[in-house]
Amino acid sequence: MTTRVQHRATEVISRLLAYLVMAFALFITIFPIYWLAVNSFKLDIDIFAVPPVWFEFSPTLKHYDAAFIGQPFLIYALNSLIIAVTTTIVSLVFGTMAGYALARFDYPGRWRYQISFWILSTRMMPPIVTIIPLFIFFNFFGLLNTKLAVVVAYTAFNLPFVTWMMKSYFQDLPPELEEAAMVDGDTRWGAFLHVALPLARPGLAATAIFSLILAWNEFLLALILTQTERAMTLPVGISGRVTQYTTHWGEISAAGFLASVPIIIFALIVQRHLVRGLSFGAVKG
Amino acid sequence: MASVTFRNVVKKFGKFTAVMNLNLEVRDNEFLVLLGPSGCGKTTTMRMVAGLEEATSGDIYIDADRINGVLPKYRDVAMVFQSYALYPHLSVADNIGYPLKIRKVPPAECKRRIMEVARRVELDTLLSRLPKELSGGQRQRVALARAIVRTPRVFLMDEPLSNLDAKLRTQMRAELKHLQHELQVTTIYVTHDQIEAMTLAHRVAVMNNGVIEQLGTPREIYNDPRTLFVAGFIGSPPMNLIPGEVKNGVFASAGLRVGGIGRADVSRAVLGVRPEDVHVAGAGDADVNLLAPIYSVELTGESTLVSLRLGNQLMTLRADKNFAGQIDQQIGVKLAADRVFLFNEESRDRVDV
Repeated sequence: MTTRVQHRATEVISRLLAYLVMAFALFITIFPIYWLAVNSFKLDIDIFAVPPVWFEFSPTLKHYDAAFIGQPFLIYALNSLIIAVTTTIVSLVFGTMAGYALARFDYPGRWRYQISFWILSTRMMPPIVTIIPLFIFFNFFGLLNTKLAVVVAYTAFNLPFVTWMMKSYFQDLPPELEEAAMVDGDTRWGAFLHVALPLARPGLAATAIFSLILAWNEFLLALILTQTERAMTLPVGISGRVTQYTTHWGEISAAGFLASVPIIIFALIVQRHLVRGLSFGAVKG
Repeated sequence: MASVTFRNVVKKFGKFTAVMNLNLEVRDNEFLVLLGPSGCGKTTTMRMVAGLEEATSGDIYIDADRINGVLPKYRDVAMVFQSYALYPHLSVADNIGYPLKIRKVPPAECKRRIMEVARRVELDTLLSRLPKELSGGQRQRVALARAIVRTPRVFLMDEPLSNLDAKLRTQMRAELKHLQHELQVTTIYVTHDQIEAMTLAHRVAVMNNGVIEQLGTPREIYNDPRTLFVAGFIGSPPMNLIPGEVKNGVFASAGLRVGGIGRADVSRAVLGVRPEDVHVAGAGDADVNLLAPIYSVELTGESTLVSLRLGNQLMTLRADKNFAGQIDQQIGVKLAADRVFLFNEESRDRVDV
């Protein structure tokens, strides 16, 4: 009897501990978002209040007004959206085809490995190393301060990632499915389109969201390649509110909070695919 | 309605030769089985007909058309894969209809033919299911239906029954044979199961190490094996193969003596005899080939398999189902003289008896 009570007690305690750990982890992840959201609705005086104001303040939309009406943050957001979506589409189209080619075609000798490694190796240096050459390059073509330049640069950095992700998804698909399609009368392209691609959908979703987040959040290249609202993205725009004399925390919070909303919504939508996509390699078939 | 011809076909994967100088003609409407152990090149041979592998050298013809380098879609063949290779994202109906859809057959015609084939393989009530919602046997039928929904020139079947349980396999085997007879389409069938080969084939090509060891009707392969490999591969239980020596027309090994055999002396010979051609001698019979103790007695139902200890190997014979011998009991056996094969152990070929 005693042992059973003891057993129950340890069970309760271990449960309690697990919840505590989870609560702590949740707090660490949620708190910055909460603080960002709350600050965006506070008056400046409440933002800087010591001790901090947690819940009780009179909410205001003044910072939203300042950022999106007073400052061109709507345009930055639009730029960000166009650039992120275009980058994702272009990287996905080319990266998926490249990944498929690397997963399926025959290469002489060790060329499959060589090409794959070469593609990956473009990610091995820090992007900042390429900034001056990229700047000169885009300047030469007169593309500085255009969305096109940012898309090209982002696509270049995203492609290796997409290629490798998709390569591994295609390698997990049994090749007989495409072989069956080809014997059934399809071309290799048709088999890719009708069979391999629909089956790689979870992989596509996972890769798309990573690519989208990467492009949406990127700061460094955008900072160098864009100067005005013609092409400037949200992260660069937001950082611009740190001025010589003051930091507009309210506007930064307002813009930052709204900037994170689309990604959160998108992540929620593709969440199901994402989970399946990430575990795809583990459970075959 | 087509023949398939291989002429000096070689297939190499890097340094490994999978198929070595293959010459074979599959006749019109023939059910040809490629039989051999795994890695013998039988699947590679079939995949070269499908266009999924390209021959390294040599020519492959369907009828008079040389098909080397021709895309699979233009070869007009249909294939059933070992894994069935059903499209997991498509319903049964869409799986079966895939070859038609790709060939731009009008939807109404498509639907009619899908229904027709589905009824034939008893899938007509499952058309809207996904492959993952089907049993193994049903998946097999979908794969089959997808192959027969159009009339290709050649059917290719890569171990289509190997993933089914024993009972279903026997049933599907009979259905396959009937289907082939009914459809009258040239069929190449790959298997490592010699029972399937024997029961299904018009002719069997026994392959080993990339070479056809023997090509013939199941009866020829069984009754007249040309090489040691074929002799040992075909038959269940397998043929007894006993190494020994032939001198002056007498085969001798540990305990076994068979007279009147061999036209020439062979220092390293193998004597082959099937279990059903070894008979238990009567009690007073002095004229026996072998006296040996019983190692095991297994009743299979219609007969009894008796293993005898012969030196350090066993010799199996098929005795009457009422055989009453005990383990370790000494019995005498006689070999059916006209059913004994002799092989040269070095060349691994048959030697005339």
